[in-house]
Amino acid sequence: MRKVLALLWLALVLAAVVHVASLSLHGLPRETDIMALLPREEREPEIQAAKDRVARSLSGRVVVMVGHAERDKARSTAQDLRRALVEAGLVRPEGDVPDEAAVKRLGAAYFVHRAGLLAEGDRRKLLHGEGEGLVKRALSQIYGFGGAVDSRLLARDPFLLFPAFLGGLPTPANRMSMDEGLPTVVEGGTTWVLQSLRITGEAFDLDFQKRFVAAFESAQARAPEGTRILRLGAVFFAQAGAEQAMGESARIGLLSLAGTVLLVVLTFRSLRPLLLSLAAIGAGLATALSVCLFLFGSLHVAAQMFGAALIGIAVDYALLYFGQIFTQRTDPARRLAHVLPGIALGVATTIIGYGALAFSPFPGLHQVAVFSGVGLAGSFLSVVLWFPLLDRAPAARLNPRLAAAANRLWRFWDEAGHGRARRLVLAVLALVGAFGLSRLQVDDDMRRQQGLSPVLAAEQAEIQRLAGFGQAGRFFLVQGGDEQQVLEREEALDERLAGLSGWQAAARFVPSAERQADNAALAERALYAPHLAAYRAGLGMAEPAERDAPARPLSLADIRATGGLPFLDALVLDERLHVAMVDGDAPSAALRAAAQGLDGVRFVDPTGDLNLLLQSYRHRALMLVAASTLLMVPLLAWRYGAKGAVRVMLPAAGAVLLTPPLLALAGIGFSFFAAMALVLVLSIGTDYAVFCAEDDRRDPVTLVSVSLAMVTTLLSFGLLAASEVAAVRAFGATMLVGVALAFLLSPSVARRE
Amino acid sequence: MSRLIALVLLLFACPALAETAMLKDGDVLRGRFVQERHMQGFAAPLRSEGSFLVAPGRGLIWRAETPFAITTVVTPAGLVQSVDGAETTRLSTARLPFLARLYDMMAAALAGDWRALDGTFAITREAERIRLQPLRPDDPHVPAIAARLGRFVEEVEITKPGGDVDRLVFTRQELNARPLDAAESALLK
Repeated sequence: MRKVLALLWLALVLAAVVHVASLSLHGLPRETDIMALLPREEREPEIQAAKDRVARSLSGRVVVMVGHAERDKARSTAQDLRRALVEAGLVRPEGDVPDEAAVKRLGAAYFVHRAGLLAEGDRRKLLHGEGEGLVKRALSQIYGFGGAVDSRLLARDPFLLFPAFLGGLPTPANRMSMDEGLPTVVEGGTTWVLQSLRITGEAFDLDFQKRFVAAFESAQARAPEGTRILRLGAVFFAQAGAEQAMGESARIGLLSLAGTVLLVVLTFRSLRPLLLSLAAIGAGLATALSVCLFLFGSLHVAAQMFGAALIGIAVDYALLYFGQIFTQRTDPARRLAHVLPGIALGVATTIIGYGALAFSPFPGLHQVAVFSGVGLAGSFLSVVLWFPLLDRAPAARLNPRLAAAANRLWRFWDEAGHGRARRLVLAVLALVGAFGLSRLQVDDDMRRQQGLSPVLAAEQAEIQRLAGFGQAGRFFLVQGGDEQQVLEREEALDERLAGLSGWQAAARFVPSAERQADNAALAERALYAPHLAAYRAGLGMAEPAERDAPARPLSLADIRATGGLPFLDALVLDERLHVAMVDGDAPSAALRAAAQGLDGVRFVDPTGDLNLLLQSYRHRALMLVAASTLLMVPLLAWRYGAKGAVRVMLPAAGAVLLTPPLLALAGIGFSFFAAMALVLVLSIGTDYAVFCAEDDRRDPVTLVSVSLAMVTTLLSFGLLAASEVAAVRAFGATMLVGVALAFLLSPSVARRE
Repeated sequence: MSRLIALVLLLFACPALAETAMLKDGDVLRGRFVQERHMQGFAAPLRSEGSFLVAPGRGLIWRAETPFAITTVVTPAGLVQSVDGAETTRLSTARLPFLARLYDMMAAALAGDWRALDGTFAITREAERIRLQPLRPDDPHVPAIAARLGRFVEEVEITKPGGDVDRLVFTRQELNARPLDAAESALLK
């Protein structure tokens, strides 16, 4: 029967290997879009869709500024860079910088409707009855040195309101201007040329990132000496982050594997336990991969990264088993029989913990949960079914020093003589914990968790300053029954925002029909009627052309058709839904308040929303810890009785409670990612307690095996504490401290005689 | 705008062309001007009068006194216009790179390097008269310029593509009669 089951399991594992191998012939289907890891939660699908569109539009954009002391070199380098990326198929050939013809079309389209168009400053002046100032400005432009005045324009626009309107348009990158077709700014003797690019792939697709950044860097390397190139774009940040994370996980996976191998070889001083342990890990990984590919069609990169860390836990069952060679039990069946209850309970509680991940809000973690759960179960089955058949290891002697150390830990938690020391340790832990608790700070700031590259952040800031870009990201969604209503609502919002923040909205480029009529009436009332006659007489100017109102007001479609303001496309989602991008760093609360009470206007702060989400997920992760605890209790009560179950849960629960305060003392805030680590601390810690509880004879072998398991876990998860990414670091540090604490407390569960 | 540039260019560059008084850094040229703008559809030319100051490497101060006080200051950083001390117009070279480029052209011309100008104008000279004809007559930004030279530029006529004509007459020009005073230095900062 045993053999049949073992062969059956072998067949299954082989099938999994064949399945995975056949798929990887054409390259393992990998899901590399790390956006899938981000939580998506919005009760209104319309808002989520708008958010997604804005996010896609922002993340698909790359801005490069090429600076050189010589204008020609800056220009040619910028153009070469663009050409190289277009030729590589990484950047769309059509630019979003309008060409001269488009700008001309735009000017012509506006000019026809000039009667209804006023610069915002001019409108304010006229509303305040300060028409005199506009007259003075026109005269100074006519009589002064230079000026773009010509008689044809004056005849049609005597007060030169139209040039003021054009000059006052809140175009993005307002420090740039067109220099022979390229947006340029000159500062401190350096000519900066801007290239605005739209990538052809997804910024968060790892494969695309890699190709894009490689092509970019090789083009960059060809730039002449003295060139400075600044980068702005999600793709750069995402690539830098991914490269770092992948590099880290590869290093950690390697270190973890090497450490585990070394540990097994040093402890058991024999090849067979090592090979069998590797077989158990391999079987676990192969089945996990196969199930993931079967269920999801592709392997998510997050599962791959967690898979590396899983090695450290999958090996635990093998370690527990081989600990038995240090006992009198030489019969493999008896060795297994002795550890089976412990590892069976252990795998059950751990899978409960990992299963909890499946209920986390991060979709990428669902695969991680399946991958880890299946991997652990596979490794457990390999130990149970294969090891008794393949184990030929003779009994060995446990290193006496290790045995003595293990005995000391057992005795510390057991002997009456250590009672005072025990109480002291517990009191100190409680005190330190309480002190840490007073220092505990929650950290839900998504930006801090991401570990953004400081070099890129500095380049982004410099581009924003040079070009006059604001910080994009926050926006208002403006909804209405039709386009006119949307524009009117934007104008209402405009009044609230004046002086608060810069912002871009369609209505600032194309006023609503109502506003156009109002502008024309205002100019007539406050400027033409009181001032024109005297102005004309003073200048000796002929009767100006009739200020004929066009048949219909200027429409958004007229302006978009010119192609002169391509960024309008990002602001107009559809006729009834516009985006108004905030351009500046006004506090979100003030912006939110500005939208208050305006129909159809809603403020959206994606990063702020993400922070709020992280906060609610942090709460939810803590609920998961509680839920896992409750799920484990019946299982443990069935084995140890109600009181025993509580005792077995105590070390892990203590570790869970103490870890965040202890980390707070080291200045590590409590984040969602730390809370997720607590879920694992609970299940792994319970594992250790179960192993100890199963051993009523306080065999040093048990503690040595458990300590090996702990060390391998720390090798895989604890190493994450060295990560550059704050989120990963918090996860790793929590695992490190939590698992170590759980280990130190576990021997306390043995029933005292 | 381009008209102003061409004018500045000429003021700076023409002495070199005339092989008479060539301005160099640190010089200060002062004088009076009369500007007449002949615009189509206007009964009479629009006339303004005032004083000007050119300091190579630093810029130009153009002060109209009649019909009312308008001060225009042109520096490598851009152009600022004010009426009765209140700013009415400001254009910065950061926003108008061609302005910066024309400064480069000007500097080159001052140093006797005419290649930069050659690309934009066809230059012909007859005794004391010089003509700068745009190479691309259809370019709406480049006017035709004619000037009469003495020791300095005496008269300039600028004909814009639309047909408007600006006529400028310079008188009482003095080179380095006195240095920049504090107020002028502040304007040219």
